[in-house]
Amino acid sequence: MPLIKIDDKEIEVEKGITVLQAAIDERIEIPYYCYHPALSIVGSCRMCLVEIEGMPKLQVSCNTTIGELPPERKKDGKYDMIVRTQTEIVKRERENVLEFLLLNHPLDCPVCDQAGECYLQDYSYKYGRAHSRFLEEKRVRKNEYLGSNVIINHNRCIMCTRCVRFTREISGTNELFVQARGDVSKISIFEDKSLDNMLAGNVIDICPVGALLSTDYIHKNRFWNLEAKKSICTDCSVGCNILVYSQNNRIYRLNARENHNVNGYFICDIGRYGFHRYEDAEKVTSPLIRSDGGFKPISWEGALKEIYEQFSMSMSGEKQQIVGIASPFHTNESLFMFGRLMNNIFKDKSIIGKLPFIEDYEIHFDSGFRISKDRSPNRKGLLDFCPNLEDEILQKVKAGEVRLCYALDDGVDRKLDEEWESFFKSQRFLVVQTYAMTPLAKLAHLILLGPSPMEREGTMTNDQGRIQWLNPSVSLTNKTRPDWEIIMEFMNTVGKRELKYTSVNEVNLEMGERFPDYRGRTFFKIGYQGLPKKNITTSRPSEGRQAIQ
Amino acid sequence: MAQNRTFKFTNPQRVEKILSQYPDKRSATLPLLHLAQEQEGYLTSAAIEAVAELVEIHPGEMMDTVSFYTMFYTKPMGKNHVQVCQTLSCSLNGADSLVDHISEKYKIAHGDVSQDGKISLVKVECLGSCDTAPVIRINDSNYESMTVEKFDKIVESI
Repeated sequence: MPLIKIDDKEIEVEKGITVLQAAIDERIEIPYYCYHPALSIVGSCRMCLVEIEGMPKLQVSCNTTIGELPPERKKDGKYDMIVRTQTEIVKRERENVLEFLLLNHPLDCPVCDQAGECYLQDYSYKYGRAHSRFLEEKRVRKNEYLGSNVIINHNRCIMCTRCVRFTREISGTNELFVQARGDVSKISIFEDKSLDNMLAGNVIDICPVGALLSTDYIHKNRFWNLEAKKSICTDCSVGCNILVYSQNNRIYRLNARENHNVNGYFICDIGRYGFHRYEDAEKVTSPLIRSDGGFKPISWEGALKEIYEQFSMSMSGEKQQIVGIASPFHTNESLFMFGRLMNNIFKDKSIIGKLPFIEDYEIHFDSGFRISKDRSPNRKGLLDFCPNLEDEILQKVKAGEVRLCYALDDGVDRKLDEEWESFFKSQRFLVVQTYAMTPLAKLAHLILLGPSPMEREGTMTNDQGRIQWLNPSVSLTNKTRPDWEIIMEFMNTVGKRELKYTSVNEVNLEMGERFPDYRGRTFFKIGYQGLPKKNITTSRPSEGRQAIQ
Repeated sequence: MAQNRTFKFTNPQRVEKILSQYPDKRSATLPLLHLAQEQEGYLTSAAIEAVAELVEIHPGEMMDTVSFYTMFYTKPMGKNHVQVCQTLSCSLNGADSLVDHISEKYKIAHGDVSQDGKISLVKVECLGSCDTAPVIRINDSNYESMTVEKFDKIVESI
């Protein structure tokens, strides 16, 4: 393996990697704009110039690979390459490159969305000169729409071509190209085919300056006001890693978060703009009970009393009377509690069913990015914790005598067809745990107020069997209770249990005790990158009720 | 970009020959674009797509190249394509007044085509004949030591 020296640091590196990569791995800062780990290397921004001993001129570190020298030609007797990143000439060169990049760049940071997370700003501050020597007029162009969600500000663009390479290499859609050359060059749309692919929003993320802007976020907030939470996307079963930016419990935007085991560097636009669905939904603000054709608020104590009156009687009867409707939109922890409630308390008086899974078209990109057909985040978890799911629940229920129903609602995406609607209508008492007035909630006799997807905390298992942390980005409102807590109270009330979990961590630990696949998969261990289930290769056989004790 | 639905090289042997000259197909991009432009007078989007297919890159990527070089046109040029040298010697010797003359006479600016489609005008860089400045190039021939009168005569004769 080649031994190189960057500044004062000796590093052993793999043969063939670039100087910039070696520096990034060793946390040595070399500034760059056009380089992006997911994209091909062009070396066009010239920001990463470094001095390499034996080379007459400065070299772009992003495109200089490290090889091995024969023993007699080693530098200082042992190094294959000696790189200097802090010499006078390198500093002067960075200053000069920045001066060129800023020639036509406006000084509009106070109104620029990128301010605060802008590499041009950061590097100008760190490496640039304090004053501009440019006396001529700047080239000014109008903003343009590249696609329905992306605006380009040509004046701010530094022509790093990350976005162009993205459309060629990652989305494979080729909408963008570099038009003309020199100071008249600009990013353009090829043949009026606008930038509207499923990954289009990522060009805003990867733009190192404020040239590409989201119509959804433009001029809405400043970066430094926003709090970033590391979480996962719940819009399909891939479970892309995201950063949720919010201020005062209002979400402003979602960005992709790097996770090479799941989504790489990018997310799709379904997830990126999907959070607006929860804002637009008609919200439930307190537990509600049906009264005179409408709903009226009820306290949690009252709601639990109602549940006790309705459900405790049915436990002594002979027949299956209770149906539980589980949901693949809920966390593993709440599904685990739900499975316990149904299988350990109601036992053979109950059956667990589910509504049909929400499915849509599946999309695969050549770069490996995929959007799953399964548009619910936790189907794997649902099947793990409720292994005795009844598929033919409608037929089964028609024949039997089910009269009580406890349903975890799927949320705003759920639509009910007539068959299911009449099924829910035929229930003597329907309890729905939800956050919004969905079609299902409208049929309920009692609505329990659970958290919305952005408020939920717990783990989710994606379609590859990877357990990931769903981290709440918005805090719970006054009357909302976590899903697992509601189910716990349900168990305590109806089943006379004395469960006293105080946090989702305790539920998670208990879950690990009872399900070997999830043993040791605590929040601390899975962290922000997730961990696969144990025994990932073996699929769980349908073990029936005995599986859960 | 003007739309021309189909494009076919009229001389497939030349295409083959150009492609065989390079180890990498992409290297044949410029000669093939020149060939296509020679055939149609300008590069239609169909032609760009045809060349892109031959060198196995996406037409969008091909547009990078086409728009980079000023000698590729994506709209039809005049029957007589007049290129006036703008580099130092020619400028000093009155290239500007030639441009002004042509502009006024045919009501065209740099990059335009006259209404009857007979004349188009572009300013270009050095045509390599500085000793006989100013130089213009009409289609494929150079005309040296130009004056306004000489230009009018030449245009009439062709």
